Amino acid sequence: MSHSASHPAAGSPAGSSTARGIALGAGLLVLALVPLMVGASPYMLGLLISALILAGLALSWALLGNLGGMVSFGHAAFFGVGAYASALLAARLNVPVLLAIPIGGLFATLSSLAMLPALRLSGPYFALAILAYAQIFRILATELDWLTGGAAGLQRFPSLPTVFGLDLSERAGSYVLVLACVVLFALVYVVIRRSHVGTALRAIAESEDATRVVGVNATVLKTWMLLLSAFIAGVFGALNAHIIGFLEPDYAFSGIWSVMPIIAAVFGGYRTVLGPIVGAVVIYLFDQVVAKSLIPVGHQILLGIVLAVMVLVAPNGLSGLVARLFPRSEKHHAEA
Amino acid sequence: MLKLDAVTVRFGGLTALSDVSFEIPQGEILGLVGPNGAGKTTLFNSISGLVKARGQITFDGKNVIRLPLHRRARVGIGRTFQIPQPMHHLSVRENLAVAQVFGAGRYDPKRIDEILTVMELSHKADADAASALALQELKRLEIAKALATEPKLLLLDEVLAGLESNAKRTFMLKLRELHRLFGLTIVIVEHDIETISELCTRAVVLNFGQLIADGTPAEVFANPAVMESYTGTAHA
Repeated sequence: MSHSASHPAAGSPAGSSTARGIALGAGLLVLALVPLMVGASPYMLGLLISALILAGLALSWALLGNLGGMVSFGHAAFFGVGAYASALLAARLNVPVLLAIPIGGLFATLSSLAMLPALRLSGPYFALAILAYAQIFRILATELDWLTGGAAGLQRFPSLPTVFGLDLSERAGSYVLVLACVVLFALVYVVIRRSHVGTALRAIAESEDATRVVGVNATVLKTWMLLLSAFIAGVFGALNAHIIGFLEPDYAFSGIWSVMPIIAAVFGGYRTVLGPIVGAVVIYLFDQVVAKSLIPVGHQILLGIVLAVMVLVAPNGLSGLVARLFPRSEKHHAEA
Repeated sequence: MLKLDAVTVRFGGLTALSDVSFEIPQGEILGLVGPNGAGKTTLFNSISGLVKARGQITFDGKNVIRLPLHRRARVGIGRTFQIPQPMHHLSVRENLAVAQVFGAGRYDPKRIDEILTVMELSHKADADAASALALQELKRLEIAKALATEPKLLLLDEVLAGLESNAKRTFMLKLRELHRLFGLTIVIVEHDIETISELCTRAVVLNFGQLIADGTPAEVFANPAVMESYTGTAHA
């Protein structure tokens, strides 16, 4: 089956939009490498690593929300399962860390299989079901202390290794690895979004019956997106675990990992690929650098205000705001 | 082509369709008529798989009653909705591409261009979003989407409703053209007796979920029971 229609011809409005997207993505990638080139402080690199971890999680959340219309309040489950699985595999079975991380993602994917019955639900019912589901894993991680260390958590598990002379456990190395993962999954997202499957998934988000009646198996496509989203969240959970070097249930399955990606994706514009990534970096740095210095305790209140203002002023997030401030040229509209 | 045998649909205590049986041979244009609430859309929903029905629905020799909605499209049952349901944020071309890839199992841009030309939507093909289309264009898109799945049977649910007489006449000519061009079997839900008489070779009448008449439009509309159901006196 050819998918050529999903690759618009150069010169077409969609083609120029693609070119703009590539240029913007490349520009942001170069920008992301600046901290390494100028020798940013370990503190600043640490903040950026955390921001990129959140970016990866926001990307996985947006993939589920944008392609398939599923609003998840339970990504903490996938994040936590990926973290624990990778840490335990590396610690107990001596699995190399760089192999344990994707396997952690696979465990998160497996854990998402339990969510499949919820795919028959929609809107707030799906959101509530997945929220309840996330709590089950936090309780399991606390109660299965023979495996997870219980509430005390895991302290001794391997950190990231050195590869081709680059020590990934150092801040600069970790930054490169996490950035590479964000770029990789963003590209996967782009490829899916531009395929006919991605187009159908976007349509499912709007009107499931309209797509099913023309032959789209909405349940199967939504299942694939849930599995992929869980995998990505699990990988970033695993990366985070090996970078920070400790795990406890209340941290790994914290509601923060469910709420922050939503804030980041909505702030950046969850209907685009770059929106959740840019949103995560901006939101995290604003929270840690600006809000914390203004209100050391309870600084999250500023996040809420910023998000509320953004939703009111630009419901499509930063990406929508940029599109409004810098509209496509009249020539492109004429071509359309 | 299509055979319905004792098709029954119940919603809780309400029987929306009761033992409806009739056949549609290949190439026919059948009018499905009846007053509001007669069960016409429910019949479409049960043929296309949107609601669960009991009985037998045989399409091209196979009982499809247990096939899920998306599989019905793939065996050749296409349909439109009374209120057009485009994939709103997609362009017209993307709407057709999704329908073709998943409904017909192949991607053929030339065929999509042909359908766009026949349905007079070429100039809107790459416009921003289907939701921006006018009502007539939405109705044409609804049919174009169904055609992209390469159906053998096309179920048209009140596709002429809301159109003024000239537009209705143009649309009827278009339906005849589609019937000829694509070799379709068409079932159309329509209230207007004149339209059914002009367009269809046969009409089936439903009332309170039951089939009350089946014949040529002239025969059916000469039936006192049919006219009573239209004027609402039959069950007074």
